[in-house]
Amino acid sequence: MTIPVQLTIPSHSKYLCLVRKVLTHLLSNHEAPEDVARKIVLCVDEACSNIIKHGYGGNCDCPIEISFQLENDEFIIKIRDYGKQCDASQFKSRDLEDVKPGGLGLFFITEIMDTVDYCTNREKGTLLTMVKKLGSHVSGAAR
Amino acid sequence: MSIEFNFEEGANGVATLIIRGDMDMNSSPEVREKLTGMFEKNQKAIIIDLSAVPYIDSSGIATLVEGLQWSHSSKNKFFLAGMTAGVKDVFEIARLLPVFDTFDTPAEALAGCSPQGPA
Repeated sequence: MTIPVQLTIPSHSKYLCLVRKVLTHLLSNHEAPEDVARKIVLCVDEACSNIIKHGYGGNCDCPIEISFQLENDEFIIKIRDYGKQCDASQFKSRDLEDVKPGGLGLFFITEIMDTVDYCTNREKGTLLTMVKKLGSHVSGAAR
Repeated sequence: MSIEFNFEEGANGVATLIIRGDMDMNSSPEVREKLTGMFEKNQKAIIIDLSAVPYIDSSGIATLVEGLQWSHSSKNKFFLAGMTAGVKDVFEIARLLPVFDTFDTPAEALAGCSPQGPA
């Protein structure tokens, strides 16, 4: 799959299920193991939720551009927003010993993904790149 | 995907909330609203039937953690029942499974509410 699958959604939480459906279908086409696919879907969902909540501050009419690409056995997700830039070095995922609501989204992303990069080297917004190795399970025909 | 609820009030102050649909950032406020109503009724035990919830994200987990906190402060019971594989995965990653009282089925959770505990 050299050409990325691209999807742009408005920054409203009602579109998150659409992203999950597209991604689940795509990963199924690539014969990604179900448990790995579920984890990737969770990370993309959490990243988009964070953009809606923090990047765009609840403004529902801003673009979130998402692309999915498979290179060898690496599944690469890029998520671009044009909202408030955050200092990724200040991101804190939750201390798991401290059971309280909230703060889990970032933990899921860092725990599950092999690499995570927030690039704010642009005038507006952030480009988040997440990579997950799918291993030898990936369907060659789907590449 | 919209979320749907069914509410069953059993004997001895045990109430079951059956949730159907994904628990995500879009639907979690609705779940929180339903749960808050149940907390205010001061039920002796609340069972959350998750057997028709294929997906949960951190906001859904946060909502259920609020239930756990209600349980600790009120000394009442808060049980999760019928987790699907997808939901269980997320609880496992968050390492929250040991923190909650979980049951394979709502019937087992109900048995856990009896003074004698699970059969």
